[in-house]
Amino acid sequence: MLPECQPQPEPECRVLSIQSHVVRGFVGNKSAAFPLQVLGFEVDLVNSVQFSNHTGYTRDTSFLDKVMEIIQELRRQNPKLVYVCDPVMGDKRNGDGYMYVPENLLPVYKGKVVPLADIITPNQYEAEILAGKKMNTEKEAIEVMDVLHAMGPDTVVITSSDLPSALGDNYLVTLGSQRKVIAGGLRVTERIRMEIPKVDAVFVGTGDLFAAMLLAWTHQHPNNLKIACEKTVSALQHIVTRTISNAKALAGVGKKPSAAQLELRVVQSKEQIENPEIIIHATTI
Amino acid sequence: MLPECQPQPEPECRVLSIQSHVVRGFVGNKSAAFPLQVLGFEVDLVNSVQFSNHTGYEHWKGQTMTAGELQTLYEGLKLNDVTRYDYVLTGYTRDTSFLDKVMEIIQELRRQNPKLVYVCDPVMGDKRNGDGYMYVPENLLPVYKGKVVPLADIITPNQYEAEILAGKKMNTEKEAIEVMDVLHAMGPDTVVITSSDLPSALGDNYLVTLGSQRKVIAGGLRVTERIRMEIPKVDAVFVGTGDLFAAMLLAWTHQHPNNLKIACEKTVSALQHIVTRTISNAKALAGVGKKPSAAQLELRVVQSKEQIENPEIIIHATTI
Repeated sequence: MLPECQPQPEPECRVLSIQSHVVRGFVGNKSAAFPLQVLGFEVDLVNSVQFSNHTGYTRDTSFLDKVMEIIQELRRQNPKLVYVCDPVMGDKRNGDGYMYVPENLLPVYKGKVVPLADIITPNQYEAEILAGKKMNTEKEAIEVMDVLHAMGPDTVVITSSDLPSALGDNYLVTLGSQRKVIAGGLRVTERIRMEIPKVDAVFVGTGDLFAAMLLAWTHQHPNNLKIACEKTVSALQHIVTRTISNAKALAGVGKKPSAAQLELRVVQSKEQIENPEIIIHATTI
Repeated sequence: MLPECQPQPEPECRVLSIQSHVVRGFVGNKSAAFPLQVLGFEVDLVNSVQFSNHTGYEHWKGQTMTAGELQTLYEGLKLNDVTRYDYVLTGYTRDTSFLDKVMEIIQELRRQNPKLVYVCDPVMGDKRNGDGYMYVPENLLPVYKGKVVPLADIITPNQYEAEILAGKKMNTEKEAIEVMDVLHAMGPDTVVITSSDLPSALGDNYLVTLGSQRKVIAGGLRVTERIRMEIPKVDAVFVGTGDLFAAMLLAWTHQHPNNLKIACEKTVSALQHIVTRTISNAKALAGVGKKPSAAQLELRVVQSKEQIENPEIIIHATTI
């Protein structure tokens, strides 16, 4: 008897996302899940906390240690597992950096987390404290990214920096660097830069959204950091623009929008997430 | 000075969904969130539990939320003045104090928005080989009858749940209509009996879904729209289909508030697409002649996004 012709199961790409959950709004897993799911990923969600809405940051080293232990076990089961890590520790305000997680997380990130990561998305402050050096010019930024590569990850994206932009003061600069092996066994580093119009508001959750979409687009374009970043940044810019526009309409003329009004319009931006219109281009540096 | 022309904020429809969360798979909030979000709803999610996976697997582990913890989350929302909801959605609950707390919250939310619509899947039990059995503690039944169903606008019981809520059996379509009328009298204007073993003209391998919606039409006339659908059975045990059904029914009755026929056709058709895709994939994963496991039978929700957004009607309802 001939074997029955066996249909193939659908291919699938499964993400384990370990982040905060908020009842209302878009940070952490709430920010990551929807974009990844609309882009076709199976997403398993471990909610590290459940809060009513976003607040300040709470993270502890024992939880982070446990996550690293789990990642190492998962990697034994699938050596090709890709760990995308947003090393959230702090930010700059008016030029001064400050940590908004306990300081004892920094050695854990430097010693355990970043070495395990394949892709990291620090902001300038986080990149500087991880690498142990400042970046005031593009050349110094490249040096910082190279230090970070040496710690582990082949892909480093500095999501925002206050490097001077040729387009003016109201632009922030995003930088990316990806080490890869190309045809013939040659090791190269692709480096890109993007100038992004600043928006006059404080958004929460944009970093989480960025990391999730970067995961999706680097999966789609594993050897083209330029395209992956253009799609990620453009999608985020669409969402942010839509959000601020709606927030201002909610707040009314001349009034500053509240945190509730500034919640990212993620669901409404589904089509931009699925197929981002490139509105910001990257230059290769 | 003329006032600046003020752009309007985008209209929005916000759902508060209080259900289980599983890390892996599609039940409870995991089942409800994605469809509602792809259909454009803002979805606020209170995860009543966080488990590794649903309890149909051999193992499950996780944490459960208490009524006190629910109150804390709710207080957080209240303090920020963000408790204006258009819909509330609830499903599987095992704890009467938690259920009581949810009802308390719904009543408060309704004081804030009297037009709030409460969609309730009164999950209590099911039938297997003709016999009904409860899979929640029995003391939940009086809470559902006395508090929950009276507050609900839309309920989605299966046949067993409809019978124990109404206190009468339904062996014929006529009796089913009587049961649905008893349920209407308890509160909800929309009742959908998601599955029943009423005899189908199409044969034994069809289950029957029934729906009933009371409404007031032009001229103030009160009418009841009743529909029936024959659905091909699928030879597998799925978990989460009820949660998916309730979420999509919320979306389609919102879109078609006075047309239960279309709302049910879209909901049932989308679900049928998902189930068919799931069993097909599960069989491919399990291999020839092998029974798919719980893990392999997880609903292919993400993969069915387009069917969720715009369901191709493959099962039609008849008006009865």
